[in-house]
Amino acid sequence: MNDFFELIVSATASGCIYGLLALSYLLMTRPTGIINFAVGEWGMLAAFGGFLILSWLEWPYAAGMLLVSVFMFGIGWLTERLAVRRLVEQGAPPLAPILALLGMLVVFRELVSVSFGPDPRPVPAAFGFGRLELGLLAGSYQSFYIIVITVLVFLGAWYFFEKTLAGKSFEAVAIDRRAAALMGINLRRVMALSFAAAGTVAGLAGILVAPNVSAHYLMGLPLAIQGFTALVIGGVGRVEGALLGGLILAFAEQFTVRYANVPPGLAMGVPLVLLILFLLLRPTGLLKPKEARS
Amino acid sequence: MKSLLGYLTAAIVLSAVAFLLGDYQTDIYRKLLLWITLALSYNFLFGIAGQVAFSHFTFYGIGAYAVVILVTQLHLPLLLAVPITVLICVIAALVVAIPATRLEGFYLALATLAFAQLFIVLLNEGGNLTGGTGGLANYQLPPILGMQLKGPAYTVVIVLLMLASLAAVWRLDRSYFGRACRAARDNPEAAAAMGVNVRSTRILAYTVTSALAGVAGMVYAFVDNTVSPVIFGLENSFLLLFMIIIGGSGQHAGAILGAVLLYVMPFLLSPLIGHHHALVFGLFMVLAVMFQPAGLIGLWRNWRRGSEATGTRPANAPGEGRA
Repeated sequence: MNDFFELIVSATASGCIYGLLALSYLLMTRPTGIINFAVGEWGMLAAFGGFLILSWLEWPYAAGMLLVSVFMFGIGWLTERLAVRRLVEQGAPPLAPILALLGMLVVFRELVSVSFGPDPRPVPAAFGFGRLELGLLAGSYQSFYIIVITVLVFLGAWYFFEKTLAGKSFEAVAIDRRAAALMGINLRRVMALSFAAAGTVAGLAGILVAPNVSAHYLMGLPLAIQGFTALVIGGVGRVEGALLGGLILAFAEQFTVRYANVPPGLAMGVPLVLLILFLLLRPTGLLKPKEARS
Repeated sequence: MKSLLGYLTAAIVLSAVAFLLGDYQTDIYRKLLLWITLALSYNFLFGIAGQVAFSHFTFYGIGAYAVVILVTQLHLPLLLAVPITVLICVIAALVVAIPATRLEGFYLALATLAFAQLFIVLLNEGGNLTGGTGGLANYQLPPILGMQLKGPAYTVVIVLLMLASLAAVWRLDRSYFGRACRAARDNPEAAAAMGVNVRSTRILAYTVTSALAGVAGMVYAFVDNTVSPVIFGLENSFLLLFMIIIGGSGQHAGAILGAVLLYVMPFLLSPLIGHHHALVFGLFMVLAVMFQPAGLIGLWRNWRRGSEATGTRPANAPGEGRA
């Protein structure tokens, strides 16, 4: 039974990571319709940022995490500026920015591989490696830390979209781009901010997951696929869908490994099968998007 | 008649080259031809039919694995194994295509990406059937009608395969079907209104090109005489996409140019940047999408035409129309 509750904590923590990655996709895809696969690579960049600042320069954790977040905000903003804006404003086909971002993904990965080599690099956990027990629920410090940070991020995102005018303008762009522009919403600013915020959120996911998996130049693609699967399960329409999708994915994954009698290698196929099933049966995801109110 | 003569000349010249090469060059030459073959069929799928699928290299793998398993483990004669392998590829392609082509735009890419990853998982877990992570090795091409094809003779087979693929995509492109594919890519609603059955066009395009990739994989299986999960990973599907976009999407010459360039580039670049040629590919890809959507072949055509049209977006830009 203890084992069961420990599994719940660790699955929730991975679910939170997937949820953050899904939120990163969602932040970009809602206002622009662009699916940016470099989300996983952003997570990797942040993990290496964590390695540089926390393991190598030995900054205090909070300051290091803040600096990495700021850096990732800049990366997201630059990506939009360099690879996306020109194409969108030229009226290029909708696929063009997605392809350009696929190219960027490779550039990010190879730059890291050139600079850091193929060996995994350690990234410290926020409070060291220890075990926390809250009644029946038990898990590593890092698991609880991941859950707390994710809850804060999602509360922040919810507050932003529901309660602030800037958040409403995002929503307006998502619902009808032209109408939003006619209402005086600055499309450029919304796009730049959505990419910058997505960079920050993906970076958080990267630096949070890094203590468990180490920073490695190939860590991006699995993160990208997991985050995407979470997004498809939850639906691209709602912020809370991202978290829900991440949790469903992580629970399906970890419970299969633990309780179903399949070889661990095959269990790696679980998220892929989930992704295919959801794409085919329910491509809009579990949660219905909000419609424009008439 | 004229084109038949062209193919014949190409076949003779390309085959003649095969007899002049040493072992190492033969290996490079064969793989170059196979990359061109794959690029040609992928160009039809991505460039002409407008489907962003990451499963092309997976079908190459399915073809290779299927023929090896049929020949070495089920001990079927090659002449029977080949049509069965093609059938397996067609069925697998239909299984993916019938549900997946319903998906709009980039969702098709994701479904095929998951399919590609799933294939690798299954290969790794396939036990004795697929040889697990190590794959299958130490088998040989069985004699065909008493003849053992090897050395330059097998290279000739690859030359013929490449030219047959070129002829196939060329003819398809010029046919009603090719025009239907382009129409369904650029504007599905208008195409449907003109009487094109968009869905079956997409399914057919996916199935035909995937089967072509499977046939190429079948030939590849006896080039290295080893198949393993590492060879058929996602990396190479990305590479195919890069070849098409850099070369010139939707144009056969562009596909050939892109395949040759990206295959040869690592050999030229390795003294400079070691194994990091993907960095250069990525940069080229971004630059191509941003500034030269018609690819290198478009650049060349503009230059020949007197270049007043540079910067305009020709009809064959990657993924033109709705994604």
